[in-house]
Amino acid sequence: MKNLLEHMGIEPERLHFSWISSAESTKFVDVATKVTEAVKSLENKEKKFVKTKPKVA
Amino acid sequence: MADNEPKILSFLCNWCSYGAADLAGVSRMEYPSNIRVIRIPCTGRMSPKFILAGLRQGADAVWVSG
Amino acid sequence: MKSYTEKIKEISKGLLEEGKVDMVIGYRKGSVPLMHQPFFAQNQQEIDEFVWDSNCGLNLANYVTDRQEKIGILATGCNSRNIATHIVEGKIKREQLYIIGIPCKGMLDRHKLAAMADGPITTVEEDEEKGTVTISGDGFSETVDKTEALQQNCSICVHRNPVIYDELVADEVKEQTRDEVDPYAGVKEIEAMSPEEKWAHFDDLLSACIRCYACRNACPLCYCPLCFVDESKPQWVGKSIDPTDVRTFHFLRAYHCAGRCTDCGACVRACPVGINVRDFTKKLEKDCFELYGWEAGMSTEQRPPLDTYKPDDPEEFIK
Repeated sequence: MKNLLEHMGIEPERLHFSWISSAESTKFVDVATKVTEAVKSLENKEKKFVKTKPKVA
Repeated sequence: MADNEPKILSFLCNWCSYGAADLAGVSRMEYPSNIRVIRIPCTGRMSPKFILAGLRQGADAVWVSG
Repeated sequence: MKSYTEKIKEISKGLLEEGKVDMVIGYRKGSVPLMHQPFFAQNQQEIDEFVWDSNCGLNLANYVTDRQEKIGILATGCNSRNIATHIVEGKIKREQLYIIGIPCKGMLDRHKLAAMADGPITTVEEDEEKGTVTISGDGFSETVDKTEALQQNCSICVHRNPVIYDELVADEVKEQTRDEVDPYAGVKEIEAMSPEEKWAHFDDLLSACIRCYACRNACPLCYCPLCFVDESKPQWVGKSIDPTDVRTFHFLRAYHCAGRCTDCGACVRACPVGINVRDFTKKLEKDCFELYGWEAGMSTEQRPPLDTYKPDDPEEFIK
C-alpha cells in the first residue's frame, strides 16, 4: 500500500505503520512523537488527494 | 489549535496500540496532540479504503498501528 | 497464424464432438480492426468463426469465473496464468476446463498503430515471414516491424508459453529472459521521480480518464460482485471525473490486483482513451517479485503472498 502511494506521488511521511504491545506505553509515546515530527516536516507542502468541492465552470 | 498543526489520523488496534495509548494516559505521559484516534477491533479490520478515505477528507497523514 | 487458427478449430471441433466440453471460448473477428472479440462457440458452425492472430489481446480468463459448464478455453502465457489464479482463488475448477495452450508471439498495440495511421484503420495485415504488419485505410498504407507495433507488456513479456494447458496448438516459442528485456524499465523511470513529479505524471496520465470502467470490466481479476466504486454506504469514491475520484479509483483498483496481476495488458487495450493503466499495476507486480519472489499464476498449488504469513516476510515498513 505504502509503496504504491509513494509511487503515485504521496510523500512517504504521510503513511505510517507500527506494532506496539498494550504494555508498551513508552513505545507508543515514542512512535507518536516520531510520526508527528515526520508529518510536521512536510508542513509547507500542499496536501494531495484531498477531495475538494468540484470546480464549476 | 493553530491551523498549521497537522492532523494525523490514527487507527489503533483495541488490544495493542489502543491499550498502549490508554496506559500512556493512565501513566500521565505526554504525547503530541496531533493524533486523532480511531479504535478498531483488530488491525485485521483495517482496509486500504480507510486510508484513502482519511486522506481524501483532508487528514495530513495516516498512522496504522497494531 | 493461419496454422494456429486451423489447429484451434480442429481441436475445438474434436472437443465438442466428443462432448468433453459444452462450449469453447475463443475469438472471432471484431466489428473494428485490431480488436477481435471474445466468442463462446457452442456448435460446429460457430467454431468456424474462430480466428487467431495478433489482435486477440483481450483476456479470456475473464469469462470463466463462477461458470458451471465444462469449458474449452484458449490460453496464451498471461491468460493461462490468470486461469491459474482463478483456480487458486476458487472461481473455477480445474476439472471444468480444457485449456488449449497457445504459445504467444505478442499482440499488436492498437493505440500505437492508431497514432501511426493518417486516419481510421480499416484493414490490418500481417506478414509472418517478414515479421511486418501493414495497416491501411482510406488513402494511406503503412508497414512497420511487428516488434515495433507490439503492446508494451508483450514486448517485455517473459512468460509467452502457457503455464497450464491440456494441449498445445504449436511448439513452444522461445522465452525472453529477464537479462534480455527489463520488464520494469518503465516503473524504474517513474520511481526515479520526486513526489511532485510523480504526482504530475499521474495527473497527466489520468487527465483523459472518463471513468467508463472498461479497464475494470476487461480485467479478469475484477470479478467482485459489487465493486468498491459502486458501494454507496459508505460511498468511498465519487462517480464524477473529479481528479481525486479518478485517482482513488485507479489506485484502489490497482491495489486490489496486487500479487494477482499477470500484466496481460487487457486494461490498456480496453481503454478507449489510451491510458497506460499498467503504470499502476506494474509497480505492484515489481514489488511482489522483489519482496516475495512471486509471479502471479505460475502454479495452481501455491497461495499468493498477500494471503499467507511467513515469519520472514519483509516488514521494513513497520516501526
